[in-house]
Amino acid sequence: MGLFSPGYLAAAALVGLPLYLHLLRRHDAESQPFSSLMFFERRTRSSIKHRRLRYLLLLSLRIVLLLLLALVFANPFISRPVAGMGGNKLLVVVIDNSFSMRAGSRLADAKRAALDLLESRNPATRAQVLTLGSQLHALTAETQDKRELQQAVEGVAPGDSRASFGQLASGLRSLAEAVSIPIELHLFSDLQRSGMPAGFQEMTLPPNTTLILHPVVKEATPNWTVEAVNAPAQVWEPKKARLQAVIAGFHTPAATRTVSLVVNGKTLATRSANVPANGRATVEFDSLDVPYGFSRCEVRIDSADSLPADDRFLFSVERSDPRRVLFVHEANDSRSPLYFGSALTSGVEGVFALETRTADEASNTQLSQYAFVVLSDVLSLPSSFESSLLEYVRGGGSVLIAEGAAAARRSRIPVFGGIIQGVRNYSGSAQRFLTVGEVDPTYPSLAKADHWANVEFYFAVAAETSGARVIARLTDGTPLLVEKKLGEGRILLFASGFDNLTNDFPLRPVFVPFVEQTARYLSGMERRVGSSVVDSFFELRCDKDRAASVEVVDPDGRRPLSLKEAVTSSMFQLSRAGFYEMRLANGRHEVIGVNADRRESDLDVIPEDVLALWRGGPAPASQPVAASGVVQEQTKPFSLWWHFMLLLLAAAVVESLVSDRYLGRLRDET
Amino acid sequence: MQRFIDPAVLAGISGLDLIAKTVVDGFIAGLHRSPNFGFSQEFAEYRAYTPGDDLRHIDWNVYARSERAYLKRYRGETNTLLTVLLDASNSMKFSSHGVTKSDYARFAAAALFYLTTQTQRDAAGLIVFDDEVRSYIRPSNRQGQFHRLLSGLEHAEPRARTDFTKALERFLEFLRRRGLVVVISDFYENPERIVRALEPLRFRGNEVLLFHVLDPAEVRPHFRAPTTLIEMETEEALEVSPEYARVEYPKKIDAHIEALRDGARGSGMDYHLLRTDRPLDDALREFLAIRQGRS
Repeated sequence: MGLFSPGYLAAAALVGLPLYLHLLRRHDAESQPFSSLMFFERRTRSSIKHRRLRYLLLLSLRIVLLLLLALVFANPFISRPVAGMGGNKLLVVVIDNSFSMRAGSRLADAKRAALDLLESRNPATRAQVLTLGSQLHALTAETQDKRELQQAVEGVAPGDSRASFGQLASGLRSLAEAVSIPIELHLFSDLQRSGMPAGFQEMTLPPNTTLILHPVVKEATPNWTVEAVNAPAQVWEPKKARLQAVIAGFHTPAATRTVSLVVNGKTLATRSANVPANGRATVEFDSLDVPYGFSRCEVRIDSADSLPADDRFLFSVERSDPRRVLFVHEANDSRSPLYFGSALTSGVEGVFALETRTADEASNTQLSQYAFVVLSDVLSLPSSFESSLLEYVRGGGSVLIAEGAAAARRSRIPVFGGIIQGVRNYSGSAQRFLTVGEVDPTYPSLAKADHWANVEFYFAVAAETSGARVIARLTDGTPLLVEKKLGEGRILLFASGFDNLTNDFPLRPVFVPFVEQTARYLSGMERRVGSSVVDSFFELRCDKDRAASVEVVDPDGRRPLSLKEAVTSSMFQLSRAGFYEMRLANGRHEVIGVNADRRESDLDVIPEDVLALWRGGPAPASQPVAASGVVQEQTKPFSLWWHFMLLLLAAAVVESLVSDRYLGRLRDET
Repeated sequence: MQRFIDPAVLAGISGLDLIAKTVVDGFIAGLHRSPNFGFSQEFAEYRAYTPGDDLRHIDWNVYARSERAYLKRYRGETNTLLTVLLDASNSMKFSSHGVTKSDYARFAAAALFYLTTQTQRDAAGLIVFDDEVRSYIRPSNRQGQFHRLLSGLEHAEPRARTDFTKALERFLEFLRRRGLVVVISDFYENPERIVRALEPLRFRGNEVLLFHVLDPAEVRPHFRAPTTLIEMETEEALEVSPEYARVEYPKKIDAHIEALRDGARGSGMDYHLLRTDRPLDDALREFLAIRQGRS
């Protein structure tokens, strides 16, 4: 209850007037001589008190009259919850089932509060139940069926997604366009601060929407989590593998946590991590002794907090022998395999094994066993081998083509398919060489190669690059590095040679990281990840036209894709935390550990002032608390002026009657 | 209609002698018209002469016929000694309508003196008292006694407070002859004490008549609001509510009057209540009734 004009309450001080007149005012009794007081007694004074007591009713009425008068001017009001008022509106019940709602009994509390709301709902009001994760999911259509709504609420299961209030607002905006009646949005959530979008305006709700928040918690809850694990996705030498885990505490005191590395259900090592208050600690494991093939690994901590689901971080590790790389060159070219092989082995020691062949020798090679193939300034390729290469690329393989001086005797680039538009021999020019003019640093091969400007190119091939991506150009605009996708694989064209005749690239330090990164990229190591985040997407195929079937097995061992989807789907959303097994369109087998977004582990809540802004009104002074948790409802002031005015009139009438009775008695006495 | 003269009108008449004459003459004239009351100096009896009797009262005609000396006695001459005990305490100053109780008492006393001395030629005396005997005029029927009595009444201004017990000790010293004793007072004292104090007068053969003078406001007081009453004798203050004065006080004053009346009659005394808003007829009528009874 509040007052619109509390200043008028000062008028309540007027109650002192009847108090003074009735009780406090000195009684001015008239003095009169009398012959004798013989028949008057001392107890006559009590009769005056009795008289005053008899007038207490009148006094009370007058005090009430003045208080009511002050209250009428102060204009009191009560705050009535907007909920349950019925009317022509759509009741939208949104239950947050994001990962953080797994903490404690949050989800159960939210469902219970939602059921209570539906129970008190006006039966004529249509309602709809939705869940909020990274997306807004509708569990029911607009309906008045109480049973359907209750079943939908009861069926809400905890999710692993990250709540996004921006998505909530976006979904409501879409919903508001579809309905013409006002929307009353009830959000049952822990109102996690991390659920807010980067821009507050993204949380803007439609004008016809009234937001009523039902927070299940009021303040931040301490929580430890394995925030991140830095582990190699592939291991060739387990003894040399290193693993780092970051243990984070949100709103936690300083503590020591025990960190365990578990591989295929077996604990391999245990460490202690001194996590500072509300801080992070890094734990390192020196080896990752995993068996060949895919291993399901996890890093665990003993947190004993309210959210145990984030106490482990899942990831997969693949152990294999060094990947074989086929290097095809001309028989008279000994420089290229030397420089390339040296760079490859020095950059990623033990990962790749380079096999050098001539084109004729490579004709009968089974290409699928190679991570990628390098065609180093090959004058001609047997047609069968070229066909095999094309098939290899379409099936997901990769080919790196280096065009050296031999290109001058060809009209097209094999496998790549582009027509050679000309050769650039810069040694004959006055400048004698060209350097790299433009570089796309985002390309994986160039991620660590940042000193291209010093490389001198004496010879380059100008090829047709239609349908291809130019990654680097020489200063005259000649494409130097071009990537072309073919089927599930890719072809990377280097418009110069790997020998030191057409350029001095092999002699430059930038050559080693270029070879290393290119090898990783083309072999697929760059794309191989051991862990991912819930709600992220995984690419199942690159060639949408290729009708290769994929297979996905979710953490529960079920196949979420239908047969049709298995043939057509190119992306798959990792919606659950756990290990997914996949067989991709390129034939590769993948196991990936999916973890909830660790921003969900920060159980801090949105400040009340921000919530008030979101609701579009001032912050309430207090929040009603329900037995099942904190329930905050938006309220609307309801003036009681008219009620108090009626009470005032009634009190005035009664006061008149009572005073008339007393005055009448007084008249009788006199 | 003169007998119904309002006491307030009498108060406007200067001179107690004129007041007394006005009252008594009117009263007597009224009596002549009344068949129930009669009084004159008519013959009563003959009594044998005894030595010491006044020779002037011998009926010489009887002596001439029978040679025996007889004294001729008249009815009015059997009790001729009237003594008025007038209360002159401060409480007698009270008035609610223009005539104080003191004035009313003096009017009544003056009328009695006039009736006694001027009409019947009887002896009359006056004792003015409050807590002690303030003045005393010896009963006599000599020439000028009436004016002496009126002078005593005029000087009997109220003061001090009433104390019957103390004053009565002195009364007995002055009242050695039997007669009619009229006590005029407001009698604000315990009735038992009053009766006990006056009983010795009765025991000595006096006819005692109590004139209880009260103002009508003393009998039925009316207050519009709580009133602080200041007692006139002691100046003690007391706040009184209208309800009490309306309900409780009348019971008490009535009980007091009744107790005094019963006590007086129980002791052979006559009692009469005189309200100052009523004419003096009642007092005179009572007086004459007693006088007639004695004769």
